[in-house]
Amino acid sequence: MAMLPRVQLPLSPDAARRLKLGDVVLADGEAVITAGLPTHERIVRYLDEALPLPLELRGQAFFHLGLCEAAEGGDTTPLYVNPTTSTRFAAQLPTMIRRLGLTTVAGKGGLDQASVDAMAAQGCVYMAIVGGAAPLLTAAITEVVETGWDDLIAQFRLTRIRFRGFGPLTIAIDAHGGNLYGQLADVARQRLPAILSGMAGRRDPLGRNDRTPIVPHDEMPRTRP
Amino acid sequence: MPITQEMVRALSADLYSWSLRKVPDDTHAALARAQVSEPDARARETLKFMLASAERAERDDKFLCSDSGIPVFFVRIGAQAVMSGDIRQAFVDGFDDLVRTIEPPILKFVTNPLTNERGYRGKDMPIVSYDFTDGDCIDITCSPKSLGSGRWAALEIFSYPTLETIETYVMDVVMNAAGQHCPPVVIGVGIGGSFDRAAAIAKKATLRPIGSTNDEPVLRDMEGRLLAAVNATGFGPMGLGGQTTALAVHVDYSAGHGFTPVAVCFNCWINRRTRARIYNSGVVERLE
Repeated sequence: MAMLPRVQLPLSPDAARRLKLGDVVLADGEAVITAGLPTHERIVRYLDEALPLPLELRGQAFFHLGLCEAAEGGDTTPLYVNPTTSTRFAAQLPTMIRRLGLTTVAGKGGLDQASVDAMAAQGCVYMAIVGGAAPLLTAAITEVVETGWDDLIAQFRLTRIRFRGFGPLTIAIDAHGGNLYGQLADVARQRLPAILSGMAGRRDPLGRNDRTPIVPHDEMPRTRP
Repeated sequence: MPITQEMVRALSADLYSWSLRKVPDDTHAALARAQVSEPDARARETLKFMLASAERAERDDKFLCSDSGIPVFFVRIGAQAVMSGDIRQAFVDGFDDLVRTIEPPILKFVTNPLTNERGYRGKDMPIVSYDFTDGDCIDITCSPKSLGSGRWAALEIFSYPTLETIETYVMDVVMNAAGQHCPPVVIGVGIGGSFDRAAAIAKKATLRPIGSTNDEPVLRDMEGRLLAAVNATGFGPMGLGGQTTALAVHVDYSAGHGFTPVAVCFNCWINRRTRARIYNSGVVERLE
């Protein structure tokens, strides 16, 4: 991964707009992370009610990462992190992106069109993190800076982490409305009729009509294996 | 000498812990094959990163994923097995032991579905299903389940479906999941039986080793068609494009009535699965 370009987080909106769909980068800098739906709901409520957030989120990178940390004395050590599914937070993200001016959202699985639109309006990109790569992702974290809303379970808290060479991160939604997930879903939908007819061509042409059981009844095994 | 509650308690905790740190050998080999055959350069890099993660986790005894899931066990009791104590309680206590002692600690994922509160304990947790087999042992498979891939499973009931109807439904579920379930996935399909049986068949189908052959010719062909179809969608590793969306599609069935449930479920690329036997002699044999 040493050959990948580096980006410094948080990005400025202009820096976000310069990133190209499909680019793969490593990130230095810091981000606020959480894996919690209650956290997202609370952020939106606090914004609506003009209450102070426990961590500075304006203009920040916001990652959908679950973190397990060990606190001993005054020191907090990150034990492991891993991304979670971003679409779970689709209802809150457009509001958060617009009102907090987020310039990066990261996680896995992408976001819906409302978030894509908010990202284009704000100057924000979505970076895809490889799931299940906790040992490698965690090694890039240099510091757990601060946490907020410690009443929540560990992975739901807001936590600011600092990192060097975090990634690889794929620019999967750019700041101009480009959406890799959307493109791939469109391609898959376009391919589906041909895929299904190809399957039909490979299916047993003999006797598999509407009322033929999968396996002739008297050939079914009588005992479970 | 009987197989004791304490033996099962200790083994169930060990199986869970092992499952968090090691990609099964068959899955590792399938990922390595895909890394070579995948034509998309970015997908190849993603697969390479996954393999590197798997190797680092095993080497350094680390977790692959921060989501350790909920405990799910499949137990097969040998007809000649001799047991003592409360074997059901052994799984509850084993998970408590694990939570108390495992390093690094696991996070809270056991969720009360009525309140969405999370902890380490809950009603009917761990989820354990029991069956019988031959032999003088208890055979235990551990397959922890998480939201990331678990969220995309689905079941629908048809009336006298054709193979085409069944396969089209599987593809509908695949299209809905898109690339969100941490692909490349292992897909389990359960056909027939009853509502509950079809889901159990699908889940058990995911536990079959990758590369093993289905004994039923009709299903062997169906697995081949579905695997090719899923990988033709182009979702690819982590849903970022490529030909490796699934490592395997495993299908099993049960006789049923004219109403035919079709269940589809997914395991993410880590494909967590460990398995061991405890014999009457006290010997523990780790199989996966």
